[in-house]
Amino acid sequence: MSTNAVPVATEQYNYGIVKKFAIMAMIWGVLGMLAGVYIASELAWPFLNFNIAEITFGRLRPVHTTLVIFGFGGSALFATSYYIVQRTCQARLWGGKLLPELTFWGWQLALVLGVITYMAGYTQGREYAEFVWPVDLLITVTWVVYFAVYAMTMVKRSQPHIYVANWFFMAFILATALLHIFNNLAVPVAWNSLESYSLFAGVQDAMTQWWYGHNAVGFFLTAAFLGMMYYFVPKQAGRPIYSYRLSIVHFWALSFLYMWVGAHHLHWTALPDWVSTLAATFSILLLLPSWAGMINGIMTLSGAWEKLRTDPIILFLVTSLAFYGMSTFEGPMLSLKSVNALSHYTDWTIGHVHSGALGWVAMITFGSFYHMVPRLWGTTLYSTKLVFVHFWLATIGVVLYIVALWVAGIGQGLMLRAFDQYGNLAYTFIETVTFMHIPYVVRAIGGAFFLSGILLMSYNLYMTISGARQSASAEGRDAVAAAAR
Amino acid sequence: MIGDIFAWLGNMENSKPLALILFFSAFVGIILYVYTGKRRKRLESYKDIPFMDDDELDPTRQKKQQVKKDESTNGK
Amino acid sequence: MKHESIEINSGLLIVLTLMVISIGGLVEIVPLFHIEETVEDVDGVRPYTPLELRGRDIYVREGCYTCHSQMIRPFRDEMLRYGHYSLAAESQYDHPFQWGSKRTGPDLARVGGKYSHEWQAQHLIDPQSLVPESIMPAYPWLLESELDYSQIEERMVAQARVGVPYSRTQSEYDANVEQFGQEMADKLHVANGADMLETQAAAEDWDGNPDQITEMDALVAYLQMLGTMVDFSKYEDGHFNQFR
Repeated sequence: MSTNAVPVATEQYNYGIVKKFAIMAMIWGVLGMLAGVYIASELAWPFLNFNIAEITFGRLRPVHTTLVIFGFGGSALFATSYYIVQRTCQARLWGGKLLPELTFWGWQLALVLGVITYMAGYTQGREYAEFVWPVDLLITVTWVVYFAVYAMTMVKRSQPHIYVANWFFMAFILATALLHIFNNLAVPVAWNSLESYSLFAGVQDAMTQWWYGHNAVGFFLTAAFLGMMYYFVPKQAGRPIYSYRLSIVHFWALSFLYMWVGAHHLHWTALPDWVSTLAATFSILLLLPSWAGMINGIMTLSGAWEKLRTDPIILFLVTSLAFYGMSTFEGPMLSLKSVNALSHYTDWTIGHVHSGALGWVAMITFGSFYHMVPRLWGTTLYSTKLVFVHFWLATIGVVLYIVALWVAGIGQGLMLRAFDQYGNLAYTFIETVTFMHIPYVVRAIGGAFFLSGILLMSYNLYMTISGARQSASAEGRDAVAAAAR
Repeated sequence: MIGDIFAWLGNMENSKPLALILFFSAFVGIILYVYTGKRRKRLESYKDIPFMDDDELDPTRQKKQQVKKDESTNGK
Repeated sequence: MKHESIEINSGLLIVLTLMVISIGGLVEIVPLFHIEETVEDVDGVRPYTPLELRGRDIYVREGCYTCHSQMIRPFRDEMLRYGHYSLAAESQYDHPFQWGSKRTGPDLARVGGKYSHEWQAQHLIDPQSLVPESIMPAYPWLLESELDYSQIEERMVAQARVGVPYSRTQSEYDANVEQFGQEMADKLHVANGADMLETQAAAEDWDGNPDQITEMDALVAYLQMLGTMVDFSKYEDGHFNQFR
């Protein structure tokens, strides 16, 4: 064999599980974003519902959110967390071959079952927690195994200090366990029924759900991806993180503050006022650690800014941090009760979520994968040029998406609260729906841009991996031939 | 005097200012811990951990990479 | 304790992180279970009848909450458009809550009685036939699918287990008679579930097809009940402000 480093690394670390999760992240990403573009198109051109129950907006929307959050995001987090914990602890993944495999098959099975059950009409009716109760149990078991594998790998590390990326992943694992268990407490209709009724009702149920909902954003889609950021930004830039001490403050402040803010999704509802005021206050405070993290990431590049021109992977990583900064500014703003009065129930919120989900979560994942995948297979990227193209497709897509939904959301909010000179409502609801048609079309186009970007990435990574396999097998043949001689 | 303090602490109505004081002092404690004393060097040294593993494509390990490349050309 | 020991001890890091992330949720959620302060005491709010309960299941199944809210906020425009703002008490038997987070379509918290049964059924079969600009999907299969209420009693028992006062025993039934009146208490009695569902489905022609109990019957019955339980004319203006 020609390269000594590659087989050594494969023996030292469990890369097989990382590869599997990385491939599934790409597959779920394509499918989830395809579902997203489709449901966005249904809103622009409702005939696309085709009177088929399984593909109506109400049933496909959980398919979209589940596949992008848990399919794409979740698999990407499993992949990168297993990669990072091994490399920063310099220890092989704990649990032998079996336990990491268990997390893989458990997670993938949950996703497949989720898609099938949603389309068949089985759902808990809780946003981002639509999984029916047997799947919730499967996820719980999978998650406990994940926690054990991750924690035990940390315990048996050969590096005395636990690198900060692992703290973020650990907080993500713990918080997700807590949220998943409490938000899914329910009593099944019968042991042989997929349906269940939630343990809590009305206002308590709403609070539990949005405590879950916002912390799914806070820990699943933020803390864990910050873990990704704290490893891949320094690695790709070839220079250590700007300030390690800032990362410590960042971690504790973020972990503490996030859990308070969920109730800002329930401003002006029947939730007691004190809770939503408290949530709004903490939402404002949250701006500080969020921006501390963003600055820490971006400043890592200080003195090496020229890489932005030459390295599209750095471009992805830095742009994702810029979008992170933008959406963590927009978030506290939307949590102000006066702004929320206009924005809540409108597409402004959807646009905000996507500036975080596409701009931050997806882009940091793209950057990290472009760095990690060639290293996993011991090769180099098939095409750097295609990464540039992907970057522009993704950026144009996000910008179109966000701007379209600013117009739709703010426009609808203003129309709904407009009065004519006699003090009557100036617009009927359906007039606002008509107004939103053009923004909805633009949003669908923005989504299509983003989707074409991830398709291009899949092609690029596929060529990278198959190229690596070909050269590996060619080397294998050479070696056999050499041995025969 | 001490009795008064305990009475104040025991009163549930004071839980909010008490919590505020507790969390704020924990926060100040972390800030002081992180940014004062001689810990700077030790803490900042941890930022090199990601670069300590044997990554053959790592730009900070140009030298090693070079060696590997030589090996690979020899192998072929 | 030295921060250094957290950095090098995985167990300590896990425990402290768990503590730090638990505080926020505890402080905000636990007090809400002191029901007296969270949920107002209002006359008229009752559990769903068996037919309405099945209708609600279908509402959840079709993901209506992805486009419709059931939570009117205390603003002038919302009160003109939808009616009195929603009270916590009005969703006290909602497992799960369906307040929603997005209005691609209008709020439905008080849609009950705004339109005829016929309008609701027709609107679900073909929304654009009544509102040409609507972007709502059509749900023609609701009229074609027979309602499955084979597990209605199990459903009521499950609801009772999470705290909804469906009666399983004589004493629970008596308490319901006291609180909701004899007629309603009969409907909320688990043993009567299937009978009561059939009776209510036959009592009004919910879906324009009296021969069959369809999913449309259940969904329309549910929609026509939404927001009608509290009689706001019985309370003075501003009475509910004290609970905000």
